[in-house]
Amino acid sequence: MEPHKDYTGSKIGMWLFLLSEILLFGGLFLLYSTYRFKFSSDFHHAAGELDRIVGTLNTLILLTSSLTMALSISSMRKGDRRLSAIFTGATFFLGFIFLLNKYFEWAGKLHHGIYPNSPLLLERSKGEVLFYGLYYAMTGLHGLHVLVGLGLLFFLFIFVMRKRITETNFVFLENSGLYWHLVDIIWIFLFPLFYLIT
Amino acid sequence: MNYEGKPHAVKDKTYVLVWVGLILLTGVTVSVAGMNLGRLGIIVALVIAAFKSGLVLSYFMHLKYEKGLLIFKLMIPGIIVILILFIGLTFFDVAFR
Repeated sequence: MEPHKDYTGSKIGMWLFLLSEILLFGGLFLLYSTYRFKFSSDFHHAAGELDRIVGTLNTLILLTSSLTMALSISSMRKGDRRLSAIFTGATFFLGFIFLLNKYFEWAGKLHHGIYPNSPLLLERSKGEVLFYGLYYAMTGLHGLHVLVGLGLLFFLFIFVMRKRITETNFVFLENSGLYWHLVDIIWIFLFPLFYLIT
Repeated sequence: MNYEGKPHAVKDKTYVLVWVGLILLTGVTVSVAGMNLGRLGIIVALVIAAFKSGLVLSYFMHLKYEKGLLIFKLMIPGIIVILILFIGLTFFDVAFR
């Protein structure tokens, strides 16, 4: 007996999950908005210590990874399995570089003694402590999501190569694409809020 | 067959154009950040970010092409309204402390 497959239902399910993710980050954005309003000059000062170039680079990387993800799906639609696998691999590579950059950023801050509850950080003003708390929490949660995305991409690559994902059955690829684009959208908001405070 | 026909074949060229738009908008965001606009700065940055997200949602995430099923196109505006309410109503408190 053939298992029941529901393409539309599958996509609706994924969108519902994405909505819950938006609310998850939404709560943190709410915290951010309140504390930035309260400690605007502290936030401005602390944000100046983040590397704008790395932030911009990471934004460009993630945007490009969304393109490669979309192209991976459109290749699969056309039946080009090999091209789809290549684009999936490219998306993975870009996501990996993003996390690598994040690692260097965090390592730099840790090296300077700036991390949640560090003695150096606690000497600073309340607003700056809050900024860095939010910075680590939000970019950290986002980074975790990127990592999960990399895991998805890894399996996608294998499934594409092993023909578990085909021209007529690629809803897993599409849904993973939706997840990846959401992770990109979250970063689109994180970037100006943490790196570009004027 | 669980895939319903071929209703929406988005050209690769469209994807690339959207990507170019996103890159340019990122450039605009960074440039605007260099100017001293005070309070307006964050509004501009958020508006651009919203527009970029709109592009990703409509084209990369296919919302523009999801015909027929209204639920897809209502979910996202719905959640945005909820978030704006969360943050907006909180500010009715926070802004007056």
